[in-house]
Amino acid sequence: MMRRSGAAVLATSLIVGLTGCSVPHPRGEQTIDKVAATRDQVARLYEDYREIRNAATELLDPKPLSTVETGPVLAIDTGSFAVAAKLNRQGEVETGPIDVARVETPRFAKYPLWFFAVVRDAERGVQKLQVFERSTAVDPWLLTASPEALASTKIPGLRRDGTGHAVTVEPDDARGMTMSAQQAAEAYARVLTDPDTAAGAGIVEDAFIRQMRDIAETNASLDSVTFSQTWAAEPVRYVLRASDGGSLAFVTLLRKDQYIVPVDRKITWPAGSPQQALLEDGIQGSSGNLNYYHQIVIHLPGGTAKPRVIAQYGGVVQGEVGLDQAVDDATILGTESGDATAAE
Amino acid sequence: MKRTVGGWALIVLGCAGALVGLAMAILLGPDGRRTTGPHPVPVEGSVLVTGPKALDWVDVRVDILAEVPASKPVFVGMASTVDVDDYVKGVQHVEISRFSTPWQPELRDVAGEQLTVRGAPTALDWWLAESAGLGGANLSVTLPDEPVSLAVVAIGSSNLSGLNITLAYGIKGGFYKGIGLLLVGAGAMLAGRMVLRGDHALEEGFAPDADDQVVYVLVDEDGVEHVLSEAEVEAGEFDVVTEEVVVVESAPDPSTDDGEAPDVSVLEGPDVSGQPDPVAFAGPGTVVEDVVVEDTGGQDAASAGGEEPSGGTEAIYVWIDDDGVEHELTEAELAELGDDFEIVDDPEDDR
Repeated sequence: MMRRSGAAVLATSLIVGLTGCSVPHPRGEQTIDKVAATRDQVARLYEDYREIRNAATELLDPKPLSTVETGPVLAIDTGSFAVAAKLNRQGEVETGPIDVARVETPRFAKYPLWFFAVVRDAERGVQKLQVFERSTAVDPWLLTASPEALASTKIPGLRRDGTGHAVTVEPDDARGMTMSAQQAAEAYARVLTDPDTAAGAGIVEDAFIRQMRDIAETNASLDSVTFSQTWAAEPVRYVLRASDGGSLAFVTLLRKDQYIVPVDRKITWPAGSPQQALLEDGIQGSSGNLNYYHQIVIHLPGGTAKPRVIAQYGGVVQGEVGLDQAVDDATILGTESGDATAAE
Repeated sequence: MKRTVGGWALIVLGCAGALVGLAMAILLGPDGRRTTGPHPVPVEGSVLVTGPKALDWVDVRVDILAEVPASKPVFVGMASTVDVDDYVKGVQHVEISRFSTPWQPELRDVAGEQLTVRGAPTALDWWLAESAGLGGANLSVTLPDEPVSLAVVAIGSSNLSGLNITLAYGIKGGFYKGIGLLLVGAGAMLAGRMVLRGDHALEEGFAPDADDQVVYVLVDEDGVEHVLSEAEVEAGEFDVVTEEVVVVESAPDPSTDDGEAPDVSVLEGPDVSGQPDPVAFAGPGTVVEDVVVEDTGGQDAASAGGEEPSGGTEAIYVWIDDDGVEHELTEAELAELGDDFEIVDDPEDDR
């Protein structure tokens, strides 16, 4: 019995001895890339984000946000903070909890790195589709996109690579879809600017298009006021391959509303609205511009189905009277849309 | 044949393992690594990095000591090549594009518009391992299974002129792993030798269904078996013949109500030459008729203690299980058993 046990111990020792040790070996050919962020890094990042956002909300001061947000998200949030501070209404600023429900971290061979997360806000009944980006190795992670969808909206599944990480798609890659993400973004901008082009645009007239068209029609109906609206798509930067062979694209659209008001007319906005905060005296006898950012998520299905928007978030970022100029990111104010009213 | 192949395989594997273990222990030494340096590295700028193909081994323990004169602040770190490449992008630096042990680096000057990196290396969160100090910094890491680069960076406005690198590489605990491998190899060689020699115990050890229990059975002239203890075997002079025992399906136990039967073993294997065939192996169970003989004036075993024999001519049936334990049965119980058992006269009791 003991001898047999000895033989078993010997055999086990051989197996453990030969397989258990980490034996140095050449790495071989390997693609030079890395996962955008580990789960721990994402968790720490959201901890910091919560802390800084709460501090900014407490102070009604958007400055701390610049350490965790950038681009249109920072522009829209800064606008909402500025309007809330101007109206001294802390409740205007969104303070919902940040409950990270899903994180997708693609692999990248070079910077910028970015990852996608779904954050639930049970209080408001929405889910935010957020993108954090690190543009260079020495820059911090910053929130660059945060469109919202209803909590009931089904976010398409994503395709994964051999290591279980989400797969990115080049913005101009249309393989397997009716159009590329960049083409879809431009189609939306074109249809929103000129509804007559909708027929040949290759996109669905979805809830986002209808909502924006309603706002435009309301503004255009102001008596004696000349209203025009233009849309432009920014270069698409974040696209993920969907499990249906399509893709999920994060798109930023720039909307520019222009009002030309005769001298005997004056248009104003409802008290407490961001537009009113930006254009306190309204527009009378001149032209006025309101510029907005709209971030949307377009699902481009695999095959021949048409793209459609599944999430959106936007707000006014600049308002000026008597000028006709483009949005300057450095002068950002205001948030959210509001219906204008014209009076004699 | 199998034994020979197995034995030689163990010897060869063991020999190889022992040699590798011995080589590891000798080459790496008690600290499990080989050290080289300090080596001067001609870097006038502020950054020295390894290229993507310089560190192409996995699970190697690397210790780097970067020393600069005049107590200048210096940083040593290891990170993903993606991070390091972006960090030094546009910065004048020296790259170790290839490296061979013990110290044969291929250096390459990389031009850049900037003289130093954009951010302090100590402020970055993507280093897998890092160290900083005045006049020198020491880093100990195990190379992971992903493309990584090492970076030596001058902190602040200083530079790396006068840089000396001392490098050590090996396996963590390599000396003891080598000794362990040596011992395991030696053990394997010994085991192989035992297999080749046909060591009985080792063969038993490799037999998957071998039974542990050794039972000594004396088969007398009439073919009746007697279970003996080891002491009895040693005391007497017997020819011990080894037979393989296979347990077969047992017959129902006549003495239990639930029908559960004791194991009954049947001897198989080569016939014992010169021994009569044991007649008790005919069926799945064996019953020995134990006959008590009437008093003949002599002294039998039962009457040796002064007791009278208890019976006249009534037969007592004894069932012997595979452990040699006897169970008395009445005639009625025997009748219930049917024909599953063969009844054998016990000649000893007849006497």
